[in-house]
Amino acid sequence: MLKNYLLVAWRNLRRNKVFSFINITGLALGLACSLLIMLWVQDEKSMDSFHANGLRLYNIYERQYYDGRIEAGYYTPGKLAEELKRKIPEIERAADIDLDERNTFQVGDKILKEDGNFASEDFFSMFSFPLLQGKAQNALADISSIAISKKMAVQFFGSPEEAFGKTIRYENKKDFKVTAVYNDIPQNSSIKGDFVLNWFQYLEENSWAKEWGNNGPATSIMLRADAKPDAVRNKIRKFLDDYNKEQDKTFHIELGMQLFNQQYLHSDFKNGEIVGGRIEYVKIFSIIAVFIMVIACINFMNLTTARSVKRAKEIGVRKVVGAMRGVLIRQFIGEALLLSFFATVIALIIASLMLPMFNSLTSKQISFPFFNPVFWVEILGLTILTGIVSGSYPALFLSSFNPIRVLKGSMKFSSGATFFRKGLVVFQFVLSVMLIIGTIMISKQVHFIQTTNLGLDRENLVYIPIEGDLSQNFNLFKDEALNIPGVTAVSRMTGSPTEIGSNTGGVDWDGKDPSVRPMFSQASVGYDFAKTVHVKMVQGRDFSKDYGTDSVGYIINEAALRKIGYKDPIGKRLTFWGKKGAIVGVVKDFHFASLRVAIEPLVLRLRDKEEWGTILVKIETAKTKQAMAGLEKLGKELNPKFPFNYQFADENFNKMYRSEQVIDKLSTSFAILAIFISCLGLLGLAMFTAEQRTKEIGIRKVLGASVSGVFGLLSKEFLQLVFIAFVIAAPLAWWAVSKWLQDYTYRTDISWWVFAVAGIAALFIALLTVSFQAIKAAVANPVKSLRTE
Amino acid sequence: MIKISQLEKIYRTEEVETIALNKLNMEVNDGEFVAVMGPSGCGKSTLLNILGLLDDPDAGSFMFNNIEVAHFNERKRADLRKHNIGFVFQSFNLIDELTVFENVELPLIYTGVKSADRKKRVEAVLDKVQIMHRRNHYPQQLSGGQQQRVAVARAVVNNPKLILADEPTGNLDSSNGNEVMQLLTELNEQGTTIVMVTHSEHDARYSHRIIRMLDGQTVTQNILI
Repeated sequence: MLKNYLLVAWRNLRRNKVFSFINITGLALGLACSLLIMLWVQDEKSMDSFHANGLRLYNIYERQYYDGRIEAGYYTPGKLAEELKRKIPEIERAADIDLDERNTFQVGDKILKEDGNFASEDFFSMFSFPLLQGKAQNALADISSIAISKKMAVQFFGSPEEAFGKTIRYENKKDFKVTAVYNDIPQNSSIKGDFVLNWFQYLEENSWAKEWGNNGPATSIMLRADAKPDAVRNKIRKFLDDYNKEQDKTFHIELGMQLFNQQYLHSDFKNGEIVGGRIEYVKIFSIIAVFIMVIACINFMNLTTARSVKRAKEIGVRKVVGAMRGVLIRQFIGEALLLSFFATVIALIIASLMLPMFNSLTSKQISFPFFNPVFWVEILGLTILTGIVSGSYPALFLSSFNPIRVLKGSMKFSSGATFFRKGLVVFQFVLSVMLIIGTIMISKQVHFIQTTNLGLDRENLVYIPIEGDLSQNFNLFKDEALNIPGVTAVSRMTGSPTEIGSNTGGVDWDGKDPSVRPMFSQASVGYDFAKTVHVKMVQGRDFSKDYGTDSVGYIINEAALRKIGYKDPIGKRLTFWGKKGAIVGVVKDFHFASLRVAIEPLVLRLRDKEEWGTILVKIETAKTKQAMAGLEKLGKELNPKFPFNYQFADENFNKMYRSEQVIDKLSTSFAILAIFISCLGLLGLAMFTAEQRTKEIGIRKVLGASVSGVFGLLSKEFLQLVFIAFVIAAPLAWWAVSKWLQDYTYRTDISWWVFAVAGIAALFIALLTVSFQAIKAAVANPVKSLRTE
Repeated sequence: MIKISQLEKIYRTEEVETIALNKLNMEVNDGEFVAVMGPSGCGKSTLLNILGLLDDPDAGSFMFNNIEVAHFNERKRADLRKHNIGFVFQSFNLIDELTVFENVELPLIYTGVKSADRKKRVEAVLDKVQIMHRRNHYPQQLSGGQQQRVAVARAVVNNPKLILADEPTGNLDSSNGNEVMQLLTELNEQGTTIVMVTHSEHDARYSHRIIRMLDGQTVTQNILI
């Protein structure tokens, strides 16, 4: 019996090539897209999952209570790990970690920049980064030790064996001994990098981190196997009370902990609680994958039922010769399974062809887990589910045919069945229109971010890191650079003007309420800061060499002025970290952090001799090439031990919104795909209706209806469906989009034209799809269609 | 074999009530060949559908082999049908996607006959209707007469006790029509009961008895033998 089904299914497929092609293509595209999303979701979820001690590893985060609010993040004091391990018996190991540094190394004549981290002794004993050379216990045990990756070992020494025990020069100021070589870190690790420097070095370079009132580095702990996480959580909450002298009622910090492997997807805080993070994108795309599969399955249902008129006779005959309904249901589900099997094979091919593109889009290195049996089980499950879901309705519908009527050729479908199928098409288009609106809104927001006025000019602004000799030679560099044609201004700062991350409660002024301790963002800058980054001074002036007193002068932004409340701020007292000075200028508010957050109060202080930071160079558009060549020459001259390194401000800025850009591109592709598959479904329904109404159309034409009249009659019906879909989708999309935009303090409007564009696009594409069938039906010879009765 | 009494079938739409069978009585004995005639709309086809257990009556009794089947549910009817009744239609109703062999094989599949057995029986019956040489062709590749012979073969492959034929020659020219009638006669001579609806007096003459219908009732019966 099975053979007979497969035979009929196969011959049906071959006989109706166009239909089979449309049907399998729709399903295959849907499956391919779901497959890619499935791989991406699995990859996201597998992040940091490879650590053998995974269930005992936790990250520490701070909850800062001040000014009536709670801010939280993964920044901690630099000696926290050591103290936690010493004081809390359940904590077996702990490490302070400083991630994502970029430093210059030298062996012989070879000078290279490498990305890496700082971490304390326990690092390699906690995390599963296998060592090729050296031992985990003493890899980072003293102030001259460094662990490097296999890749870096090969770059500098030729092999891990050669590298072990050798000396490598760091930032042209200190030699380190390679005490360990670790295997290159896998793609699915959130800790990346090719070197790990010891923590003693970090504390020496960053003596501020030794203060318990400051924070910056991350802290990770590993519990004993028998420890109860909740007990530890309770013990660490008030841990800082004994260390941080600044803890009082107006400002205090609590500690929290989160499983290490959870941080990648869950790292956004709201009111001190973890509320989400990248997991939102995982959810959004999982939903999109389900949407697309539903659209593809509906498509299949509609196309298959559309073919039912042609198959009615077969069903009638089968029933007459003795087929029970259940047998027929099984037959049609079997056919659907066969089709979905073909579709899966094609989907696998499509997906593997698309994978490189998908990888470059998402910056991933996902590969098909072809040798993983779980993957095949999942694929098989997906295929069967798709087959059953998409085959169910046609099976029930087809098997319910009354054999007498179908064999007599007087087929009439119940209005219920027609209604159901129309409902399916409406549902498809609701999903498609929502995707279109969502996509346009995401693009609009990305565009908004990229073009919004930050309050500073990031065009033609170049960042050059202060490293090596530049930390001594900055003033010389500045003087020389200003002589290069095309360079209009030079300044410096800690961090960058679009990313000021550091904040402090250590600000005091006349009339401050002693019971509150507002936080201020802060950065050290050089002379001519406002001039270089083109921020507007609303009162007072920029830091300038013409005034000898600027080392105790402060520039604040408007938000800070509002917080402080001075009426006439210039010359008024401001004390920063105990250093009394005066406000010399007020700068117009500019965005120095992500547009997701509001502009915070900011204090800028003058530190022209800081040893680290970024040189800011403003250049003229027309002379970019000249200016860059000049800067490079100057950099090599003044800082010969370091490769010249720079970045344009807007590139750097765009990096902050990489995930939005990726989401933008992905959702656009998926929306196009969704609308395409939906149109295949519409085509199916149009074919079905045209077939159903052949006789009616014939009679109308005999009675004098024109081709355009018939065309209008047929098209109208479908356009109505799309219109209904739009009416349902618009409010849903509005709701979803406004929810997404809530993440951004600065966001684009949800304009009416977005909805208009989506609606018109859907209607137009739908019209295009049905017009072929409608025209075909309209121009058909009525004599022929009436004779078939 | 068949005993029908006071059988009623009424078709209702929202406004119109059509009485298709009006307290109809009739009997068909084992081994008989009966022709049912009458003008369009007299209820012939409805009667045939009920006889074939494709449709159920609204009232009255239908004894099939001394079993009351008038109120059988779909499942029971299908079960009874596939073992006992074969159909021949005016428009052949062969499945286009299946070959001659596969079309004839179909009833055997649904009654669960084993593959080797099926092959033997299909070949035997194809031989009987002299279409063996065309066994691997598709219906569209055959003439009308050949298609109807295949349809007859499919109707008898299960060795049914009853064959119901609905204008079996309606779509055929006279020589092909005669061939098919000849075939039915042979089957009848071998013991199969046949009830045939027809418009053709010529075809009706092949039968033993002609039942004439009008307005849902039998009006006369001509016994030919």
